[in-house]
Amino acid sequence: MNIAVKDMRFSMLRFALTAVGIGLLLGATMGMIGLYRGIVHEALLIINDIGADLWVVEGGRSGPFAETSAVPSSLDRRVEGVPGVASTRRFIQYNQQYIIDGKSVRLAVTGVDYPKDSGSWIPLIDGRLFRSTRYEAIADQSTGLLVGDVVRLGHDDYTVVGLTKGQVDMGGDGMFFVTIPDSQAINRVLPSEAILLNRLAKGRSRMGLGDGGALAAVMVELKPNADPEVVKAQMKAWGDVEVLTQEEERSMLLDGRLWRLRVQILAFTAMTLLVAGSIIALTIYMLTLEKINQIALLKLIGARDRVIIGLIVQQALWIAALGFSVALFISFTLYPHFPRTVLLVPEDLAGIGVALLVISLGASWFAIRRAMQVRAQEVLA
Amino acid sequence: MTAQFWPSHVVMEVRGASKTYLSGANEVKALTDMTLALKSGELTGIVGPSGSGKTTFLMIAGLLEPPTTGTVHFRDQPIANASTRLNNLRDFRRTHVGFIFQKANLIPFLTAVENVQIALEINDVRPKQAKARARELLAQFGLDHRENNYPSQLSGGEQQRVSIARALANDPVLLLADEPTAALDGSRGRQVMEVFRTLADVHRVAVCVVTHDPRWSDIFDRIVEMSDGRVVEVRPGGAMKARLQI
Repeated sequence: MNIAVKDMRFSMLRFALTAVGIGLLLGATMGMIGLYRGIVHEALLIINDIGADLWVVEGGRSGPFAETSAVPSSLDRRVEGVPGVASTRRFIQYNQQYIIDGKSVRLAVTGVDYPKDSGSWIPLIDGRLFRSTRYEAIADQSTGLLVGDVVRLGHDDYTVVGLTKGQVDMGGDGMFFVTIPDSQAINRVLPSEAILLNRLAKGRSRMGLGDGGALAAVMVELKPNADPEVVKAQMKAWGDVEVLTQEEERSMLLDGRLWRLRVQILAFTAMTLLVAGSIIALTIYMLTLEKINQIALLKLIGARDRVIIGLIVQQALWIAALGFSVALFISFTLYPHFPRTVLLVPEDLAGIGVALLVISLGASWFAIRRAMQVRAQEVLA
Repeated sequence: MTAQFWPSHVVMEVRGASKTYLSGANEVKALTDMTLALKSGELTGIVGPSGSGKTTFLMIAGLLEPPTTGTVHFRDQPIANASTRLNNLRDFRRTHVGFIFQKANLIPFLTAVENVQIALEINDVRPKQAKARARELLAQFGLDHRENNYPSQLSGGEQQRVSIARALANDPVLLLADEPTAALDGSRGRQVMEVFRTLADVHRVAVCVVTHDPRWSDIFDRIVEMSDGRVVEVRPGGAMKARLQI
């Protein structure tokens, strides 16, 4: 007879509620870790997917993600002439708020250097890639747009020809891919006062100040045998540009711009883990304390220690397993509907599972120690 | 004081046992130099006021408490003294001693039959055989129709009968009962006492019952009266008188 299961079946509602409570705690922990992973994933999305070996950005800056960057629109031709460079692509990205169908929508407008770059690195869930240099767009589904929708941005209409999923920038704004000329055209539309101010500031313009003709960066693909350091050194010698590798871009984003946010989320995650662990441990310990009388009785009728240990450990593991299942259910059904990506990585989930197992066994050990101290005569207490 | 013996073989004997508890800085003597033998086929009643040491004696005889001084013997072999770790005697208790208390102390999440079955399974009886034997025992106590009820669904008398069935599951040679009828009405209480009588007469179990209730004196073979941790009188009970036609 499995008395652990008998007890759980008898108090099914209570055990179920305990498991759900633990599941919610674990679910919150999974969510915090997933949010952290999601932020890092979104921040690195373009850097990882776009396939550039080097990023040529404004001199003295860590653009275009960690800082703003503005380089001349003809820089790509200068870069193409450097030995070791196989190809170049122009890059623009900026965030703006637009009114689409009466609703305010934030877009991360991202320029794709079509036809050099067909956008084949963009993961489509519907529609197609670019076939024209103008007036076509690929939108992320988080923008609420669908294939076939026509959106007016600036003075022109753009037809959504493709749809992506999970393509957002580090701020969570859905990507709106257009060709480089279109991204410059959309960005060029400014109120007359701004145009006047830009003219006054001529020569000092950069992206964001309204110089729609500028690029954010030029991406470089190197020839197979080219030494990145040599190519970098040649371009840096011009004096007006900074050249960053893919790894440097990643590092500047994660260890620079996102550093405080990452530390904050990790701190909250650690706290959530600690709270969840303490509550799980306390719950398992309390379950044993509630059964002191029954444990004493089992000892009185001569039960061996393994019967009592089995009761405690099995219940702890059942609660942990049920709680973990509830947490997984919550994570996989609820979090996909959250506005920001909550990235559930199997390794993280396995880590939480192992931590839960350790906590459950640790708590069981304390509970077993208490149970071993129970004397049979306590049944009379 | 040494109690007198009626002819029968001794199952468990407490010899010269004293028990002292610490209550804060004070020592409380619960039992003083007590010697009493419990014999097979004999139903012994232990009576006396509260605090006279009845339950302490039962604990020592049942190997639940070690005596501070003195020894406990099983079939004339010493089995426990002040330094014995009674936790190590759990196996012995399981196979030789049955306990019944004022409260039935059933496991609330097990049905009546499972409460009896667990005692058998703990003693390595296979689940199928354990269940069959548990049913048989419950039927003996008129509880076959209640075997799948949980303790909360049973009356006090039914609960107590389940606890007796559990105590008897592993055929103990010694049955110790502490106020087993205190929570029962007169007729249920007598039923329980008659079960003890039968166990002693038919199964030759040594039965020792601690009670306040003077109504059962006619059922006992021997009545041991205690006061202040000592045996003050040992006299024949009603059953013995009837047998000896006193």
